[in-house]
Amino acid sequence: MMQTAAPIAFDREAARRAVLAERRRSALIDLGVTLSTIGVALLMGFVAVALLGKNPFVAYEALLTGPLTRLGRTGRWLELATNLILVGLGVSIAFRARQFSLGGQGQMVAGALIAALVAIYVPLPPVLGVVVPVAVAMAVGFLLGLLPGLMKAHLNANEIVSTLMLNAIVLRLYDYVLTYFLKPEGSSTTRSLPVQPTARLPTFTELLGVDLGRFNLGVVFVVLAVVGVWVLLERTPFGYTIRMIGANEQFARYGGINTRRTIALAFAAGGAVSALAGAHLLLGVHGRLFLDFVANIGWDGITVALLARNHPLVVPLSGLFYAYLLVGGDRVEQQAQVGSELVQVIQAVIVLLITAQVLGDWIRARRSRAIPSQEG
Amino acid sequence: MEQVLNVVFSTAFLAAVLRVSTPLILPALGGLISELGGVINIALEGIMLIAACAGVLVSVWTRSAGLGLLAGLALGTLTSLVLAFFHLNLKADLILAAIALNLLASGGTIFVVYLVTGDKSSTSRLVSGQMPFLRDIIPTIADLPTIGPILNQNILTYAAFVLTAAVAFFLYRTRPGVHLRAVGENPEAARSVGIDVRRMQYLALILSGALAALGGVYLSMGYVKFFARDMTGGRGFIALAAIYLGARHPLGVLVAALVFGAAEALAIQLGNLRVPTQLVQIIPYAATIIALVLYAIAQRQRVAARQRKFRQAA
Repeated sequence: MMQTAAPIAFDREAARRAVLAERRRSALIDLGVTLSTIGVALLMGFVAVALLGKNPFVAYEALLTGPLTRLGRTGRWLELATNLILVGLGVSIAFRARQFSLGGQGQMVAGALIAALVAIYVPLPPVLGVVVPVAVAMAVGFLLGLLPGLMKAHLNANEIVSTLMLNAIVLRLYDYVLTYFLKPEGSSTTRSLPVQPTARLPTFTELLGVDLGRFNLGVVFVVLAVVGVWVLLERTPFGYTIRMIGANEQFARYGGINTRRTIALAFAAGGAVSALAGAHLLLGVHGRLFLDFVANIGWDGITVALLARNHPLVVPLSGLFYAYLLVGGDRVEQQAQVGSELVQVIQAVIVLLITAQVLGDWIRARRSRAIPSQEG
Repeated sequence: MEQVLNVVFSTAFLAAVLRVSTPLILPALGGLISELGGVINIALEGIMLIAACAGVLVSVWTRSAGLGLLAGLALGTLTSLVLAFFHLNLKADLILAAIALNLLASGGTIFVVYLVTGDKSSTSRLVSGQMPFLRDIIPTIADLPTIGPILNQNILTYAAFVLTAAVAFFLYRTRPGVHLRAVGENPEAARSVGIDVRRMQYLALILSGALAALGGVYLSMGYVKFFARDMTGGRGFIALAAIYLGARHPLGVLVAALVFGAAEALAIQLGNLRVPTQLVQIIPYAATIIALVLYAIAQRQRVAARQRKFRQAA
């Protein structure tokens, strides 16, 4: 940065190149820090397993090769990644504006529930059978995100508390509707009827004739959502205002940006994408609703977004990575009698270390001191 | 409706309110200290969980409820120390680091419980110690008519009320308490008069961790006698809401926590009356959101009133 200010004759093109180069370097440092963080966390898990008297080599072989040991497991990995990438994208939008919306879990549940109401009871022709429930789910997710968004934007109500409370409410409502309305009379298990055949997203197992588990055409949603969120954040005025607010909210306000509207809409847009993940879980993976439908996926989406530093093009990578660990974690439990929660602990350590800004800043500071001497 | 009123005006209900409010009051007090110190502790939930788990396991291992309490307190405080270190020394975002610690607590406790018991859902197969109830100290107390069941609370419930007064005294009548609030109000101004901001914020986070840990120990070694997966059930977050509903004052926070406790106790009681439990369980969460909105509106009006006054004075 120093060297761009130094020349007396201002060379626009050189300055542009310098800024881009600096940004590239910064991204590389972020990447390096993230990768070494993951390494450190995995190493700590390794040591922990060893200290607990289990064989860490067996455990880690299962963890690191698990998803590739059988085609069905690979399918499970990709199916899980589809979900995680979608929620991760949803979470990243509000996070980008430095709004800690933790509503992904509830938005997924609500999306799945609303999609189910349409997909089970309304017979629709092919294609529309998928499109309509997905659209309805996204609309509900949008509204569910908008509510805490408006509360934060206009009343400065703590979004962490409000989104968590909404999660709890949505989950209870889901249980209520499922138990009292969707469960068929006389059924012993608490689950809904299956969705209409036209509402099912075909799995690749059906399409290709090889066992890829429940990995399904919902992967198209991922492609659309990644591109959509990237365009939204990086190539539209709305995305620019989101990023401005994330960088410095007060500055954005003094600059004339309607921060209230942007914040509320960022929450809502994230809610729509998270609800899409819920719809995928219903239409592509399970085909019907049951209790504890979403499990922990909404929470894992937060990790995925953080790992990717809320960048939409990196979210798919972090989603694939984290899903890989989760599937491997299940293998660890079977092979080494170490709880699959090991992965959750590793996840927590990764997030904790990534939040520690110091390391990246320190490298950056060293570099910026070093650069002038190279050029000077 | 009459049934509902009968429930609400029974001594059993009052006793229940005190019982279920305790694990809200303690973390809410902790959260209040952190909030006033300008470093709101979102990790209350995880700290409670870790303390609850450590308390049970150590009390089983040592056959001493007191050592269980100490272990829970120590580990809970250690967790908040980690949070303070990451935020204040490593410049980690306070909220993200706290989210990570909550994750760590949720996964880590089950990981450990599974290792110890081979069961992932709870430690109900182990015989945990329990903190004494008033009955265990003054045996005749439970026999008193009417007020007996109300007075016969866990000593940690009594501790919650005593600590409310202690926290109020600390925040408004002691030097570190006033410094702590000054740091939360305006760190730059506090620094300019020679207050060590980082030290005060360490203090705020550590105290909040210790109080939340007490709440966690109460859950697993008072309210019940086992540790169960994610047994805190969002209480750490409801406690955060109680801070705002209680207008960021210890007494207000106590009242707010009791209100949430009453809502929860009502949910439990109404569940017995064939009202769908899921709908009843929504009450405390919905109450929290409404409280959040009301607090925010009141806060805005307060600011507006102050601005009007300021303009008139000028």
